[in-house]
Amino acid sequence: MSGKRISMVEKSNNKRQRVNQVPKFSINDHHDVLVEILRRLDGPSLCSAACVCRLWSAVARNDSIWEELCFRQVSPRPSLSLRSVVSALGGYRCLYFLCIRPVLARLPKLRWTRDQLQLSLSLYCVHYYERLYVGAWLGDAPPSSLMFLRKPVNVV
Amino acid sequence: MKRDLHQFQGRLSNHGTSSSSSSKDKMMMVKKEEDGGNMDDELLAVLGYKVRSSEMAEVALKLEQLETMMGNVQEDGLSHLATDTVHYNPSELYSWLDNMLSDLNPPPPRSNGLDPILPSPEIGGFPASDYDLKAIPGNAIYHQNQFPAIDSSSSSNNQSKRLKSCSSPDSMVTSTSTATQIGGVIGTTVTTTTAAESTRSVILVDSQENGVRLVHALMACAEAIQQNNLTLAEALVKQIGCLAVSQAGAMRKVATYFAEALARRIYRLSPPQNQIDHSLSDTLQMHFYETCPYLKFAHFTANQAILEAFEGKKRVHVIDFSMNQGLQWPALMQALALREGGPPTFRLTGIGPPAPDNSDHLHDVGCRLAQLAEVIHVEFEYRGFVANSLADLDASMLELRPSETEAVAVNSVFELHKLLGRPGGIEKVLGVVKQIKPVIFTVVEQESNHNGPVFLDRFTESLHYYSTLFDSLEGVPSSQDKVMSEVYLGKQICNLVACEGPDRVERHETLSQWGNRFGSSGFAPANLGSNAFKQASMLLSVYNSGQGYRVEENNGCLMLGWHTRPLITTSAWKLSTAAH
Repeated sequence: MSGKRISMVEKSNNKRQRVNQVPKFSINDHHDVLVEILRRLDGPSLCSAACVCRLWSAVARNDSIWEELCFRQVSPRPSLSLRSVVSALGGYRCLYFLCIRPVLARLPKLRWTRDQLQLSLSLYCVHYYERLYVGAWLGDAPPSSLMFLRKPVNVV
Repeated sequence: MKRDLHQFQGRLSNHGTSSSSSSKDKMMMVKKEEDGGNMDDELLAVLGYKVRSSEMAEVALKLEQLETMMGNVQEDGLSHLATDTVHYNPSELYSWLDNMLSDLNPPPPRSNGLDPILPSPEIGGFPASDYDLKAIPGNAIYHQNQFPAIDSSSSSNNQSKRLKSCSSPDSMVTSTSTATQIGGVIGTTVTTTTAAESTRSVILVDSQENGVRLVHALMACAEAIQQNNLTLAEALVKQIGCLAVSQAGAMRKVATYFAEALARRIYRLSPPQNQIDHSLSDTLQMHFYETCPYLKFAHFTANQAILEAFEGKKRVHVIDFSMNQGLQWPALMQALALREGGPPTFRLTGIGPPAPDNSDHLHDVGCRLAQLAEVIHVEFEYRGFVANSLADLDASMLELRPSETEAVAVNSVFELHKLLGRPGGIEKVLGVVKQIKPVIFTVVEQESNHNGPVFLDRFTESLHYYSTLFDSLEGVPSSQDKVMSEVYLGKQICNLVACEGPDRVERHETLSQWGNRFGSSGFAPANLGSNAFKQASMLLSVYNSGQGYRVEENNGCLMLGWHTRPLITTSAWKLSTAAH
């Protein structure tokens, strides 16, 4: 080997050693950073992220992530009182899965505005109310007026 | 004539089957069936057509009709017949003519919703059109005669006769001869099945033909009842039962419910009292709420009107004539909780009929609503009133507070029409509402006139109305919910058709009729705003991609309908005199 080459190899070896000395940064150790990243994802990506591993799944249950997802396109931002109401009714994650995602799937052309949000909230509230009926019904399962949202959409 | 015969026989021999011998058999059969027979019978028989003498008149009539129609219909209509139609066994001239006529004259749109009982087989590469005769193996119902006075014994005779005659279908090429015979318009060729069918004995049923017959039978039965001809009505009801079974889907269900209601009316079997069934009807209404958007539409639009009327008020009171399970109020409470300026104090008075087991179900509903109110931080007050009829109410019972401190709204979903059975009922209730001095009075009612003085008119109207309603349910996948919803509607049908006098509570009226009533009682219409319209449209587009449902605005009121037929209407009213 030529001299130049030997020195290059030595330099890279040194670099590697230097790198080995710096402690590795693992995103899994910094949940708040992870949350901040996940907050910026869109729906399908967020759902994929929640399937990566148990830790990410647990972190993805953080409701503020889903709140961001629900309200990203709505302007003006809804009031803080909304947060307490939605949390009481079951949280933003459930709201997203039960109401917002199916509604969006069926209204692809419409922008996500306050009107759709209001509709989703009304349906969510009715759903909560119906869950209070568990045990008081003739049938086996509690009634769910959101069943119509769960049906497959015929995308023609 | 002779030329046709040669052509015809030539073709027969070309096919090389035993058609020549079978045509002879047929001739024998036809000759056996007919007595004597005149020239026409023999000619037709020689050509291989089986026509009964009893049907000769009808066949002649239909041939005439076909002739005129072929003359009137444009070229395109007939060419479609040439390429698309498959006629099974057109040697049965009666059925072939029916088929041709129904092809040229498409049947009414309602029967388009029928599903074929079996998918039509594509035999020999011929495409099947929508108006085909569908082959159904076994003892399906065949044509019944036009005249209604047939009882079931003779119809079964007919059936066995048909079985015999259809058991050996043949392959024949026809209609070139027939076309020239009839009017010589165009040489359409209609080809038939091959011997593939001869292995099974089938009864050929035109399900749309039966659908039309079913409707005719229902109307005839209602007319018979109208004229108090109960023996005829009885015979017809049995026939309706048979015909209904041959249908599928919405038509079958509607016909079954109407047939049952007619039977109850004829035999004077009154359905069980409404009172006893109240808890059941509550459950049924819940299932109806879940299956289709009508109740949701009603609640959301009424809530929007109430929300807008309550703007800026610090204390609000809602009086609900149709408490049931209180499904309307969670959405309103949530909207009030999130409105600008914070939620008002919300007071709810619920009015409902007594429960059969004397349990205080209104109290239970109130508890659940209170639970919800606590969760969403709305101050909530509740009072439940049990009353057999809304006319028993008095304004003094309601503990109204001075209108400066509290704004009141009155809400009624599908309740007001029940008052029309008793004289003075609706006037009293409207008087009470005026005493309450609400800022808004929201009313949701069915959009149809089922309260006319003549039974036949009511029957016709309700047949159309409930057929449309059941049609809209067809898109919903089958589930217990759907079945219960149909039972819910079936009970309404039963009450409408079978009961009379104060028992008949389902006295629906149209928006214009209610409008007159409210107008003369001192109410003025309050327009439902565009927000209500937007919410309703959005709700419906989420339901089944919104296919079929239509929201219309009519004089400030919103109507939800299926395709072109409005089914329910939400309207809002305020006092026409200067309020407060």
